[in-house]
Amino acid sequence: MPPMNTKRDNPPSQESSSFALPVVSDRPAAAPDAVGEALEHAAANANSSEHGYGQSYWRSLEEKLGTSEYMEETRPEFPVGADLPPSGFVRREFMQLLGASLALAGATACSTRPESEKLLAYTKTPPEVAPGNPLHYASAMTLSGHTSGLLITAREGRPVKIEGNPEHPINQGAACTFEQAWLLSLYDPNRARVLRQGKTPRALRVLNESLTSLSTKAATDNGGSRVRFLTDPVGSPFTGELRARIQKKLPNARFFSTSSNLDTQSDTLRALFGGQAVSALYDFANADIVLSLDADFLESCPGNLLHIRQFADRRDPRKGKLNRLYMAEARFSVTGGMADHRLRMKSAEVLGLATAVAQAIGGPAASLASAAAGKSKLDAKHANWVQAVVADLRSAGAGRSVVIAGERQPAAVHALAHAINAELGNTGKTVRYVQSPIAEATGLSQVRALVEDVEAGRVDTLVITAYNPVYTLPDDVGLAKVLSKDHPNRAKLNVIYTGLYEDETSAHADWFVPAAHPLETWGDGRSVDGTVSIAQPLIQPLFNGVPESELLALFLDEPLKPAYQLLRDYWRGQSADAADFEARWDSWVSQGFIENTASPAITAAPDFGAATSLVSGYAPPAEGELELNFVLDYKVYDGRFANNSWLQELPEPITKMVWDNAALLGPDTAKELGLSPGDMADLTYGGQKLTVPVWIVPGHADKTVTLALGYGRTGLHESVAKGVGFDVKPLRSMKAPWFDGGATLTKVRGSYKFSLTQTHWRMENRPIALDMPLSELEHPSEHTEFVLHRVKGELKQHVQDNLPDYDYGSGYKWGMAIDLSRCTGCSACVVACQAENNIPVVGKEQVARSREMNWLRIDRYFEGPENDPKMVMQPVMCVHCEKAPCEYVCPVNATVHSDEGLNDMVYNRCVGTRYCSNNCPYKVRRFNYLHYTAGKTATEKMLMNPDVTVRNRGVMEKCTYCVQRIERARIDARVNRHLIKEADLKTACQQTCAAQAIVFGSLNDKQQLVTQLHEDVRAYKLLHELGTRPRTSHLIRVRNPNTALEPAKHAEPKEGSH
Amino acid sequence: MSRLSAAALLAVPAIGIGGLMAYVRSPYVTNQQMPIEQPIEFDHRHHAGDEKIDCQYCHFTVDKSPSAGIPSTTVCMSCHAQVWNKSPYLTEVRKAFFADEPIRWVRVHNLPDFVYFNHAIHVNKGVGCATCHGRIDQMAAVEQAAPLTMAWCLECHRNPEPNLRPPEFITSMTWTPPKDKAEAAALGKKLKDEYDVHSRTSCSTCHR
Repeated sequence: MPPMNTKRDNPPSQESSSFALPVVSDRPAAAPDAVGEALEHAAANANSSEHGYGQSYWRSLEEKLGTSEYMEETRPEFPVGADLPPSGFVRREFMQLLGASLALAGATACSTRPESEKLLAYTKTPPEVAPGNPLHYASAMTLSGHTSGLLITAREGRPVKIEGNPEHPINQGAACTFEQAWLLSLYDPNRARVLRQGKTPRALRVLNESLTSLSTKAATDNGGSRVRFLTDPVGSPFTGELRARIQKKLPNARFFSTSSNLDTQSDTLRALFGGQAVSALYDFANADIVLSLDADFLESCPGNLLHIRQFADRRDPRKGKLNRLYMAEARFSVTGGMADHRLRMKSAEVLGLATAVAQAIGGPAASLASAAAGKSKLDAKHANWVQAVVADLRSAGAGRSVVIAGERQPAAVHALAHAINAELGNTGKTVRYVQSPIAEATGLSQVRALVEDVEAGRVDTLVITAYNPVYTLPDDVGLAKVLSKDHPNRAKLNVIYTGLYEDETSAHADWFVPAAHPLETWGDGRSVDGTVSIAQPLIQPLFNGVPESELLALFLDEPLKPAYQLLRDYWRGQSADAADFEARWDSWVSQGFIENTASPAITAAPDFGAATSLVSGYAPPAEGELELNFVLDYKVYDGRFANNSWLQELPEPITKMVWDNAALLGPDTAKELGLSPGDMADLTYGGQKLTVPVWIVPGHADKTVTLALGYGRTGLHESVAKGVGFDVKPLRSMKAPWFDGGATLTKVRGSYKFSLTQTHWRMENRPIALDMPLSELEHPSEHTEFVLHRVKGELKQHVQDNLPDYDYGSGYKWGMAIDLSRCTGCSACVVACQAENNIPVVGKEQVARSREMNWLRIDRYFEGPENDPKMVMQPVMCVHCEKAPCEYVCPVNATVHSDEGLNDMVYNRCVGTRYCSNNCPYKVRRFNYLHYTAGKTATEKMLMNPDVTVRNRGVMEKCTYCVQRIERARIDARVNRHLIKEADLKTACQQTCAAQAIVFGSLNDKQQLVTQLHEDVRAYKLLHELGTRPRTSHLIRVRNPNTALEPAKHAEPKEGSH
Repeated sequence: MSRLSAAALLAVPAIGIGGLMAYVRSPYVTNQQMPIEQPIEFDHRHHAGDEKIDCQYCHFTVDKSPSAGIPSTTVCMSCHAQVWNKSPYLTEVRKAFFADEPIRWVRVHNLPDFVYFNHAIHVNKGVGCATCHGRIDQMAAVEQAAPLTMAWCLECHRNPEPNLRPPEFITSMTWTPPKDKAEAAALGKKLKDEYDVHSRTSCSTCHR
């Protein structure tokens, strides 16, 4: 032990100076020095041997390697610049201004009464409204053809929070990041407001007349053969019928659809099922072994919520046998982080892996595999891995495994995956084929056909309702070119575009129609399993938007009808029994979806013979140099959420980067190329060159570079998205929309500063996020026992446990449990917390100074070698210590304990000393360095949750366990004279979590899940050894490795250890 | 002399501080005793006093919502379409009703934005309207009767018994506790048990 405690060797002299403070004499001089002893205790427990905890877990490469820059940068407790005054204001200047404004204020401050506030009453109160109480409405959101079921909270007519619809089969009460953040886009002041022709504002009536005459003329002239529509994939039955009616009037008009995920899966299934539109549904609840071929099926996306729920249930040892996930991918994805065995490989190599597995599985899979022979080489060193996977898949038994291929993979990989599933007996069990909710083909070839029509001069009118295709489609599709002024056919072409924003596509439109936000209008849609949702509006259009359905209806030459009328008329037509319709319609709208509308199963078996051409026709990408990968972004998707500041400021789940994208590389490749994080580099591919900033991600495949789509937006009025990140489109092509070889990366002068949230604080070698193989938990090795003792052991009285105990009685005792086994790190909870608690967005520069405001953060830890680490995600928010270090340092009692164990934060008392934050070992307190909520527009203010104080500058804040929800539930329960039921109270993060990783409740109730989890063998308290007694328990993440690939490291069992 | 000046030296800041403390608690600062002029000369003396209309006839969400509710114009018109339907006093009400424009009432009881008061729980647990709002039936223009300071809130939250009344008298303007102190205390205790009152004093009860 290093000589760290020298206190008792040199006691302060007691008699020397008269200025010395009197020594407390009623204590014996030799009393144990509590601080010294605590340090001693900590040092004794801080194992510095090679088994030391901190050497296996790390958060960034710099930390792992212990570079001098890292050590320098994190040496002080706070990062550089954290204590800087706000820029743009000199303090003295500020004082002068303050003086002046005070002097002026003196003249008017004759009354202390604030300016009188007005109360505006309804003319007629709607019967369902009780001002002050929330109302919940079912609605829906459509993204890439999938419509999810939402439950939206409205306060006095304005939506303030989005949750998943608890009864919807996919959402089941959960919502993903995009769904949570969707509300912000409704109130976005950047949204387009003006319907215009060229640069002239027009009334809707003028557009109506113009379109009516156009469609009438087209119908008589040539049946609309010169009219084209470009839409998003249409899963909506109502829009589908609208389209059919337009088609009836204009039989020669043509519809095309495009989707950013390109949907290779559906193209493959079309081939397997003889041209039928089929989709595959996966059941992870019954899959013991999962092989993911670059499929990010746990990504926080509306269609994935059921996957996440089912998968998480299989990671919980309390629910039975764990599943095992094998993953092959190039970049580190959220799903890769959940994998038991993750194989890093080039995206092109995944085909090789699929071929090898198919070969070994046999049957039709093997014959497809022979067609794929030679298309992709699998490194010989992976043979062992393939063998283990195949053995596992076989031993799981028929219908107990899933092989799933990712959207970025070519049709060949999808065909192989389906063939393997068929051979393993999974078809009809864990993999079900149903009629696809989207009938038409999507994909780049569709849009290309449209562009060819325009180029050949076959088109007069082009109506675009798809999201911003000029931005989202690769350049060589040529849409931007035919829409630009210089194109010879452009003068004859009339382009009508509708969208929420004046964006890249609207710049090319002749008519631009501001769209109504889907929360402002009526609509419907189908979810991935086919269930029909009815989407009702929550508010009148804020910016005079026109619903897409009303716009399309203008082509019908019928009397103008609002979207509501159109939608109802359609469903009335669908209803066999008209008399019964009213009642059923009402129940559909209030429930949000129509029961028993899931797509019928396909009885035909897939014809793998037909897929041979898909496999043999596949042209593998060029080899050599770097492989260039494109991915849809976790935060902005294809760019449609780029103007959403909640998502921009959300740390990317893996890199923890905010407000940016980067060229992502693996550590070895970066070393070879002489690149370090933040360097600028020239990325050349296919004759195009792009200068990009570089970031290094541990575990990223070698010789690959990954770029996220959706950044570098140049939309006219999208002020949030403007200038964030870079646009990768110049490098993307139709031939290789997702990956291709042959890219080069060369370092150039210059550097780029990223803002990351993860490296802000240091771990100091403490065991914080814990994971271990299940076998290790059952039979702990010596090292594990040491760690477990440290995080769960008895606290030493008066040393670690030096505050008096408090009896919380028999009332509520609030507590939380977070299961790291379930958490994928998808970050939906972070956005949910932001929406619920009025948390401000601070911007990239402030985040760089560690001033991010998110109360809930998800820490991402790596473990193992930097080239191929494992990942652990750990959500951390205020843990509500029973003996909270923040409380006793507050000079104004602004943070105090409630009798139910909440660590209350009293904003009106806080004077901003920040002592509490400094003394908080969990670093979960957030300080309003600036007045982040100032300057909000009227529509943005409508978003605020009226149950939560909007904090001012100079005030500390932190997670409250959603105390506003507790109090509302308490008052409801007490008025009705019962106790708060577990189901009636959920925190915002808990409610949105599809994985059900977060559980909240009263620890005094033995029946509640949270109590059971607190008593679980996996439960531990963060920084337990400090004696803070957190009310939040984390549950150790368990892994389920295949012993053939990762032999259990059994230390000699200690005597009596278990 | 020096003793006197020393006393003065102490007294001046003491009086100054004491004066300031008295000042911030004075009705001048708490906005009490300040009848607020409203856009319409609505007289609670007439409605709640003479006509004895129950408070909840107009403020009908008081027992189920944090807010007691400002009556909608329709509530006014439900009577005044029949009675006084030509009165010039009600011109503005009729105008607002037919134009479907809200009447812009001026707020009288205005708590700071960081305070979350809930009417429903108080009314359901035996706190009467008049306990906080005073004799509304005697106010020509409504004024704030109670100081609405945190000390005033806590006074009752620490000892709610004297301020509880039987459920049938919640909206009564004239009910008073029994004159006899022991009887009043016994009633308070009985009501507290019956209502199952758990008045809370944790910060997050009102501040969140």
